Amino acid sequence: MATPVTTHSDTPAQAPRIHGLLAEFETPGDLMHAAAKVRDAGYRWWDCHTPFPVHGLDGAMGIKRTILPVCVFCAGATGTIAAFCLQAFTNSVGWTIWAGVWLTGYPFLISGKPAMSLPAFIPVIFELTILFSALSCVGLMFLFNGLPSLHHPLFKSNRFRRASNDRFFIVIEARDPKFLPKKTEEFLKTLDPTAIELVED
Amino acid sequence: MSHAHAQATSESPLAASNITLPAKALVVRNLGVIGAVIGLGGGFAVAATGAFGTTVAHAWRAYLIAFLFGLSMCLGALFFVTIQHLVRAGWSVAVRRIAEAIALNLRWIWLLFLPFAVLWFLGKANMIWIWADMESLRANNPAEYHIVHAKEGFLNPTFFWSRAAAYFVIWAFLANFYFSNSVKQDSSGDIALSERMQKWSGPAAILFGLSISFAAFDWIMSLSPAWFSTMFGVYFFAGCCTAGYSTMILCTVRLKSLGTLKGIVSNEHFQDLGKLLWAFGMVFWAYIAFSQYMLIWYANIPEETGWFLARQLGGWAPLSFALLFGHFAIPFLMFISRWPKRYGPSLAFAGVWMLCFHYVDLYWLVMPEIPHDIGTFKTYSEIATKYENQVTHFGNPVNFLFLFGVIGAVGAGTVTTLSRVALVPKKDPRLADSLRFENM
Repeated sequence: MATPVTTHSDTPAQAPRIHGLLAEFETPGDLMHAAAKVRDAGYRWWDCHTPFPVHGLDGAMGIKRTILPVCVFCAGATGTIAAFCLQAFTNSVGWTIWAGVWLTGYPFLISGKPAMSLPAFIPVIFELTILFSALSCVGLMFLFNGLPSLHHPLFKSNRFRRASNDRFFIVIEARDPKFLPKKTEEFLKTLDPTAIELVED
Repeated sequence: MSHAHAQATSESPLAASNITLPAKALVVRNLGVIGAVIGLGGGFAVAATGAFGTTVAHAWRAYLIAFLFGLSMCLGALFFVTIQHLVRAGWSVAVRRIAEAIALNLRWIWLLFLPFAVLWFLGKANMIWIWADMESLRANNPAEYHIVHAKEGFLNPTFFWSRAAAYFVIWAFLANFYFSNSVKQDSSGDIALSERMQKWSGPAAILFGLSISFAAFDWIMSLSPAWFSTMFGVYFFAGCCTAGYSTMILCTVRLKSLGTLKGIVSNEHFQDLGKLLWAFGMVFWAYIAFSQYMLIWYANIPEETGWFLARQLGGWAPLSFALLFGHFAIPFLMFISRWPKRYGPSLAFAGVWMLCFHYVDLYWLVMPEIPHDIGTFKTYSEIATKYENQVTHFGNPVNFLFLFGVIGAVGAGTVTTLSRVALVPKKDPRLADSLRFENM
């Protein structure tokens, strides 16, 4: 079933570096079983590619939960504090601080309320909390996923195009400390994929 | 899991022993009945004898709070059921029957409202709703009479009782509609029943929204008839969600710990119930409460601020702060994370905590009275000084007697309903979806 691995005999100077080995599966179930074995074999730099979310794949791959929620909470809390300080400084306390230039806050009298009126600050505090959370959530999600990225070596593979249609893939990357082209290929063959392909960088 | 509709074997999650209320749980029904008798009987006894320095007016308001507490549990559950059909949710099927059973108490909850009818016939309803006797209002508080007089087209006994009847009919009808169709499907498995429930969920949601808003205006907001807030119905709705989701959570966790619903209700369902309680009971409640408060605080019109002023005098100020931190800030931080919602005991703790503060919330809504002479002061501090000794009577046993009485009645009703039907809608077309459900 497995197609022969393409090998390259170019001169070392121009030898394309290997990105990794791609294994193709026909069903989500096959992928799940294979993923569990890759996980148990101790690989770390590898990934699965599926046309749709597969329930339980995270567990089969042994992926730890993301720390994104904690980061978003911290960003939200920063927003809360920043909004409070901003309003307290600009409307209430009248301090003079140095932020590149000397700035002086101006205590405003607004409809007879005390200068430090927390209820009036809440809407802005709310907004900035949401703003910081939402932006950090999207921004950090991109960052953690290595995005934006204009190109990916996997896009060179014609076979891989079906990852967005009807095939399921496992890629073990060459930067994995356990990656040895021959041995990893042997290992992937034991997972019974429909095809194996070497992907260059 | 995909064989949810297959023949139920002893291994299958749909085996009868797994989806039938265990005999042990019937203890709760008996306790509930005893609680209802002791609580309501004791409450009325305390009210009649005036023990613990209880005034009759206080006892009636305490009873109103307890009634609203039980009512809001059932209305929250009814809201849950309606919304699941409206959005055609798959995940919730495994826990929907519990909500249907809680909501079914709406068929008889009008009985708990009847004492107010008696009070009305005795001509003493103005102990609670001062507008019920306009003549005495005119004599005692002409300034307020002047404002309330203009609202008489809405606030008059005939219209008040017609509306109350309409609310109870709507709620009983909706609860009965969703419960009986769902139970019918348990035997027939007819998908047309699901379609029918979905089809009517839109009108049901509209009826529900209107009826609970107006009920909140009638029964709570009109306690201070000169005051008004267009946000008030939504505020009560947030309270209903708090109570409804908390009750559902407690029932679900308890049923799991009794050994039923194995392989049906999972941590994933726990987490989603927890999310709903967090979103509606803590965040949405705070959002609505603040939206109501800030506009009135900012505009600073005496006609509107009196209501909040009454809740800042003397002992009411700590209670207001208790609400801010207990209903929002503390549980918000405690349950923002994922694991407390997935773990049964901590989720049940959230349910109990929120029910406690829901009671504080209702107490804070119903009990305080705006001082009559509020218009005669020059400054805020003069009022605050004069009323610095205002007591809330929160610890008065009559409050808790009535509360346990109503909780007992609602609990007994719920357990009785659950003992007669399967604990899950076992032939719902989306049950398999729900069993497979996972939070991504």
